Amino acid sequence: MEAGTLRARGGPAIGDRSSRSRALDPLLRWVLTGLAALILLLIGFFFVRLFIEAKPAFDKFGYIGFVFDNNWDVSKEIFGAWPLVVGTLITSAIALVIGVPVAIATALYISELCPRGARQPLTILIELLAAVPSVVYGLWGIIVLAPKLHGVEQWLSDTFSFLPLVGGPVSIPNCFVAGLIMAIMILPIVSAISREVMATVPAQDKEAALALGATRWEMIRIAVLPYSRSGISGAAMLGLGRAIGETIAVTIVIGNAPNVPDSIFSQGYTLAAVIANEFNEAASDPTHRAALIAAGLVLFVLTLIINAIARYYVNRASRGNKRTVPTGMAG
Amino acid sequence: MTTLAPVSGRRRTVDRVSRGLTLALTVVAVLPLIFIIYYLIKEGIGAWSGDFFTTDPTGRFLGDPGGIKSAIVGTILMVALASAIAIPFGIGVALYLVEYGKGGRFANLVRYFVDVMTGVPSVVFGLFVYIVLVVTKIGGTFAGWKGSVALALLMLPVVTRTSEVVLNLVPDSLREAALALGAPRWRVVFRIVLPTALPGLVTGSLLAIARAAGETAPLLFTAAFVFGTQFDLSQRMNSLPLQIFNDVSQAQDRLVQRAWGAALTLVALVLLLSLAARLVQRRSRLA
Amino acid sequence: MRCSLVRSNQWLAALSAAALALGVAACGSDDESPSGGSSGGSSSSASSKQGGTINGAGATFPAPVYTEWAARFKDSTGTTVNYQAVGSGGGIAQFTAGTVDFGATDAAMKPEEEDAAKKKGDPVHIPTVLGAVTVSYKVDGIDKGLKLDGATIADIFLGKIKKWNDPAIAKVSGNTSLPDKDITVCHRSDESGTTKNFTQFLADYSKEWESGPGVDKTVKWPTGTGAKGNDGVAGCVKQTDGAVGYVEQAYALQNDFTTAAVKNKEGQFIEPSLDATSAAGEGAEVPEDLKFSTIDAPGAKTYPISAVTFLLVWQDQCKAGIKPATAKLVKSWLDYALGDGQKLAGELQYAALPAPIQQKAQAKIDALQCNGTAIG
Repeated sequence: MEAGTLRARGGPAIGDRSSRSRALDPLLRWVLTGLAALILLLIGFFFVRLFIEAKPAFDKFGYIGFVFDNNWDVSKEIFGAWPLVVGTLITSAIALVIGVPVAIATALYISELCPRGARQPLTILIELLAAVPSVVYGLWGIIVLAPKLHGVEQWLSDTFSFLPLVGGPVSIPNCFVAGLIMAIMILPIVSAISREVMATVPAQDKEAALALGATRWEMIRIAVLPYSRSGISGAAMLGLGRAIGETIAVTIVIGNAPNVPDSIFSQGYTLAAVIANEFNEAASDPTHRAALIAAGLVLFVLTLIINAIARYYVNRASRGNKRTVPTGMAG
Repeated sequence: MTTLAPVSGRRRTVDRVSRGLTLALTVVAVLPLIFIIYYLIKEGIGAWSGDFFTTDPTGRFLGDPGGIKSAIVGTILMVALASAIAIPFGIGVALYLVEYGKGGRFANLVRYFVDVMTGVPSVVFGLFVYIVLVVTKIGGTFAGWKGSVALALLMLPVVTRTSEVVLNLVPDSLREAALALGAPRWRVVFRIVLPTALPGLVTGSLLAIARAAGETAPLLFTAAFVFGTQFDLSQRMNSLPLQIFNDVSQAQDRLVQRAWGAALTLVALVLLLSLAARLVQRRSRLA
Repeated sequence: MRCSLVRSNQWLAALSAAALALGVAACGSDDESPSGGSSGGSSSSASSKQGGTINGAGATFPAPVYTEWAARFKDSTGTTVNYQAVGSGGGIAQFTAGTVDFGATDAAMKPEEEDAAKKKGDPVHIPTVLGAVTVSYKVDGIDKGLKLDGATIADIFLGKIKKWNDPAIAKVSGNTSLPDKDITVCHRSDESGTTKNFTQFLADYSKEWESGPGVDKTVKWPTGTGAKGNDGVAGCVKQTDGAVGYVEQAYALQNDFTTAAVKNKEGQFIEPSLDATSAAGEGAEVPEDLKFSTIDAPGAKTYPISAVTFLLVWQDQCKAGIKPATAKLVKSWLDYALGDGQKLAGELQYAALPAPIQQKAQAKIDALQCNGTAIG
């Protein structure tokens, strides 16, 4: 038990247990614990402060009133956020409807179907989508995508005008383009998590299906998809959480109209976009500012709930996997 | 061995069609990236020039619109400060969770709240810093360092999460060996755990930096927007995302082109950071 | 165990130290001190420049002329004027909150806004220039000078007139070959003095507008796309075939927009121009606090949607929290605006103030104080 002979490059022997070095141990522990506690305090403060600032708006319009009243009128100081909530929901729904199937397909292709060599490059390409900043998506969206889609959207709107929320004039910035851009933005995260979940499907399930004569697709249908369902739902919800909070790209392409949109091809507004657009003039108007912060709070709570649900599903998926008897192949 | 029944034509068709569809959708997924990069280069390269990087935007209506020097300087400074705050903080918390907090209730609470933080929209962080620091006029009104604080809040949960994953991958056997030789805990952390996990930590940090560099919303409320180059973080500062946001809705073509040039610069910066992260990751000897 | 990674540790430490050093050290720009010309005046004037920086925020309506003034002001005095064009609402808000040294707005402060500001001090409105709010459109098939009147424009912005070949437009414009195209309305998403002036004009000619969206810096737009700033609306108009929006004349000219000839009070259809805008200012009645409006001004040659824009400053700057040195700079900026700036305005098609109003405004500037004493 002498001082160890192991010496790191320079410095005292690693086994040196002088009293000075022993005193540093509790110090380290305290510092690190302090940092961890600081995070808790920070988040607590964050939530409390937001709530306090938002309270005047909730007091004036009521919690239900603020969220469900269909009247966002800044000049008359009436702040009913329903048009914003609807806009947020519509664009997120479009993002999910378009983005999730594509993400799942991508995850499936990469994990099950594509040649070994293509796996890494494809993964990198999908991940690169996440590297593009939101404002660049907005720039590309409004300059390139929205004008190019205008014709197609007009045709869709005319052809499917019997559907609810379709039909009528098509504007260049609109909810559909916003949803589409959001779909592209959530692709990487939904795809990555789905891939991870699919990777945990036990090989023996897949092999069993193949051994029984299933085609590749049938194997996927039988073994991979049902197994991954929970995890994929979780991934989709995480994507939804991300989509809801998207601000800059949305405000550039959505048209900023504080009305409940007549169709997915007309302008809309979201909770996040309204904060970015209006906070500047709310600086000295207490009611307006409280209303914007309340919108931020609603957004925050929405993402909290959605992420909690997502976590539940993803955890359920991974818990389920752990229960499977390990086959000796790394799970 | 009995031969298995041959696959029917119908099943084969379904198989082919489904696989084709999956491939098609994958291609669809990759298309936007290709389009964006194509347009970025096509429109942005035209804006790049010596002047572009060395002159400030003038904000003038007539005459020379100027370049994006102040935006680049501002982004570098603000992101650097944000990283200096968030990375040590995040790694510290991750260290706590891994070294001292396994299974404890406090640690689980911290972990849960860090997870919560990852889901918070960046605009809400900006709003928070606006309420707490800008409106209260602590240290002036709009300031670059406040933008850094907002960015740091954004980076913190990312750094913590990725660092926790990497630190967890350091084999316990290494720690135990050092402890068995009589090393105090702190030395185990600084001489064994951190160096082993370093590539992973660097990767996670670089990715967080890349994310922070591209964020616009938190800076809208905190650092505000100016034209001139500013080295003093206690004053308003320009930044690449804000510059792009400002130029994107303009009707003047050359301002829009400046937006493309700035976007190309920003994406190049982010890609460089992501590439560096990947390269560092390859050098890691952990899983 | 190999410790080659320790070296990377040191490298990383050095990197972060360098980053920190960059950020903290070298506070190059000396911002608040007025002396020393630190902001690099480029002219070769021998006299010592006053230097320094002042921050302002507000309307996008006069932003073209203000930024031009700022550039020339810097050349001659070395003082940097950071003007953030965030809209009149943002300007008033930031001014009241004290986050800027001066504000700018095309919409005079409302009583509630003045009350909120009174906590800090008395806000003073200094009119600077007049500009024209054009009704700009981009329609393939309609040339410039489409004749419109207030009621028709109101109906367009109310969403009641949806197509360009609507009989109402044909009737007032006398143009029978209008294309069958959807009208896309472009309006402001932020609080804007331009909006207030425009909606004032609409309300004067449309009861439905007056009782509906009303007159304010921001209203509940029944239809259309919202964009930030005059520049954003210009971008919106430029982008869509069939779009119509209200933008200040400088923006319309810069983008070669076709603008409507709007019917004025005397029944004449007038296109926006420097002369027509100046005509609106002639003979305007100006109250003591200089808060006047030229919307729907009388005169046969007047462009009816001409608007005044104001700079907002505190009566007692230092009591309101502005440093004495900065207060001097603000006054010198105002002097410039009401002096050399007036000659420059015409270059950008903004009309200078009529002489009597200019004198009154100058008197207000001279009366500004710092802690009870006049600013030197």
